[in-house]
Amino acid sequence: MGIPYFPGCTLHVKAKGLDDSTRATLAALGLELTELPEWTCCGTAFPLAQDNYMGMVASARILAKAAKEGDGRLVTVCSFCYNVLKRVNFALKNNDEARTKLNAYLEENYNGELRVLHPLELLRDDLGFDSLKTRVDRKLKGMKVACYYGCMLSRPAKEMEFGEPENPALMEEFVKAVGAEPVDFPYKTKCCGSYQVLNNYDLVAGRVKDILKAARVRDSEVIITSCPLCQFNLDWLQDRFADEDKSFSKIPVLYFTQLLGIALEISVAKLGLDNHYVDPKPLLQAG
Amino acid sequence: MTSEEMTRKVKELSGQNPYLCMQCGLCSASCTGIGVMDLLPRQVMRFLQLGKEEILKNRSIWMCTTCLICTARCPRGIDIARVMEALRTINLRKGNDILAPEDVPAELLAEIPQMALTSGFRKLSA
Amino acid sequence: MAAENKMVSIYIMGKQYEVPYGVTIMKAMEYAGYRFIRGCGCRGGFCGACGTVYRKPDSFRLKVGLACATMVEDGMHLTQIPFYPANRASYKLEELSPSLGTLLQHYPEVTRCLGCNQCTRICPQELSVMDYIAAAQRGDIEKTAHQSFDCIMCGLCASRCPAEIVQYNVGILARRLYGRHIAPRAAHLAERVGEIKAGKFNDELSRLMQMSKEELQRRYEARDIEQ
Ligand code: SF4
Ligand code: SF4
Ligand code: SF4
Ligand code: SF4
Ligand code: FES
Repeated sequence: MGIPYFPGCTLHVKAKGLDDSTRATLAALGLELTELPEWTCCGTAFPLAQDNYMGMVASARILAKAAKEGDGRLVTVCSFCYNVLKRVNFALKNNDEARTKLNAYLEENYNGELRVLHPLELLRDDLGFDSLKTRVDRKLKGMKVACYYGCMLSRPAKEMEFGEPENPALMEEFVKAVGAEPVDFPYKTKCCGSYQVLNNYDLVAGRVKDILKAARVRDSEVIITSCPLCQFNLDWLQDRFADEDKSFSKIPVLYFTQLLGIALEISVAKLGLDNHYVDPKPLLQAG
Repeated sequence: MTSEEMTRKVKELSGQNPYLCMQCGLCSASCTGIGVMDLLPRQVMRFLQLGKEEILKNRSIWMCTTCLICTARCPRGIDIARVMEALRTINLRKGNDILAPEDVPAELLAEIPQMALTSGFRKLSA
Repeated sequence: MAAENKMVSIYIMGKQYEVPYGVTIMKAMEYAGYRFIRGCGCRGGFCGACGTVYRKPDSFRLKVGLACATMVEDGMHLTQIPFYPANRASYKLEELSPSLGTLLQHYPEVTRCLGCNQCTRICPQELSVMDYIAAAQRGDIEKTAHQSFDCIMCGLCASRCPAEIVQYNVGILARRLYGRHIAPRAAHLAERVGEIKAGKFNDELSRLMQMSKEELQRRYEARDIEQ
């Protein structure tokens, strides 16, 4: 039995590359994941109205069931899943009303005991970045990487415990450990426009342009993320930008686990590199 | 909804006190929606302080991405994202929403990660 | 008192009726004077036309059953919900691809599921409705098809859904996509169809066509039957 793992809806098809590369890289490093037996959507967005407990039910059920599975940990990699599961877990632990209502509705007795973990935390704490350094090939040496956390991983700081709300450092440490070079990237926790892609194209296009530009100013060769929605927003619009502006140069957007997979020399087929809009394959030749 | 009712409801739903705002504008300067909002977060706070209920009908509250940058930066410790959500929630609970599943273009549905729909519907549809 | 003479009190849409003990809700309603034009079909628990919700005096919980297959109990409050308004996407199955995109294009509202579990709670077929919607939401067509396989389209799940999803229509789209595009073709079936098309059975068929009624009957009665 590996560590209980919640993949999340999007990772089944759309972001299969994130799922595949997460499982393959962690397994290669001796961190086996076991998918939860039956799971639903986590709900993605943490409800911000104080009395909206219905919006927490899905996550609360997933957590209560996962607590019966493994060793008190739950790993999830999608930034939305990670954010909402961690916040609902926090509410179950620290908010009496949330705990009472959710347990009564679900007929469970779960009090937020689980530790919700991101694979970056596993790599840091269970494997250790020093040990990771010894496992990777020199393939990524000198590659300039922009670490894009987006808005979900580090805020709110008190609940997410993922470093400084606007200046986390975990992903940069990871990039160094796999032998690449993190660039200074002030846009790392800006928001890509998120679900407004459904509602306001201009908002998302504007934010994405800013983020891509900031990455390029630092000569980044690749942007990495752990969020399928960031990945999508940053990736699919680039074709359109390139049509509008001939001087626009594209930049591939990878999941951090895909970068790890490349460093570990895991076969490209297992990393889902074919499903990106901006082809990341040229990166592989670079090293 | 009268202006008193709105103020009470926003406080109740958000758990925040709009009167703490000192109008510094840091939230506006940081906001993800800056290019598309008519009223930026600081102005939303001001409307609330003045009890102007037309803020409930302003489209800016629907442009928020709940990115929490404003919340992280507010020197008065106000969780502005919760205030924005309270204003949406008052609308949503009356069935006033802005995103209907049938309005999402088919081409986008074929490409988009589901989580965009899940989160979008949770924030923008009743 | 012999069971067959016993009467029980039930409430149909709030009005009290004395009906015989041991009959189904459907029979009891007919006993009380209702005539079914809709809300009744097979009378055998298969067609899904007769979904009924009820409560018993000892519990706040909403219960559910098929009127043709659920016995009345004393003190039951009930109403039939034989139909619940549902939107149904129209499509040409042959033109669809068995993909997440197809599910989302036809029923984007599946992503509104709150995970409240009310649909699973109410399903008279005891399906894990919430789980098949979860599978649909993640684009797992095969799982949606299998988990919704015993759905009788009674519509009760849709009546309970706060996200206004019509679960059974999502389920049937998944089953159709699965059956048409994903399920492996049966090799023996294709082989036999090929044989028929190639005329392998033409002679035998034309011999049968020419037989007299009496001869057909004689052969029918003398056929091999598995014991
Ligand atoms: S949470 Fe909303 S209001 Fe605050 S900065 Fe983000 S988009 Fe702007
Ligand atoms: S940052 Fe805080 S104090 Fe400043 S304007 Fe915004 S809400 Fe008011
Ligand atoms: S899934 Fe819904 S429609 Fe199908 S049998 Fe169950 S309650 Fe009825
Ligand atoms: S009733 Fe609707 S919202 Fe609730 S679990 Fe079922 S499909 Fe989801
Ligand atoms: S009448 Fe067909 S299921 Fe009851």
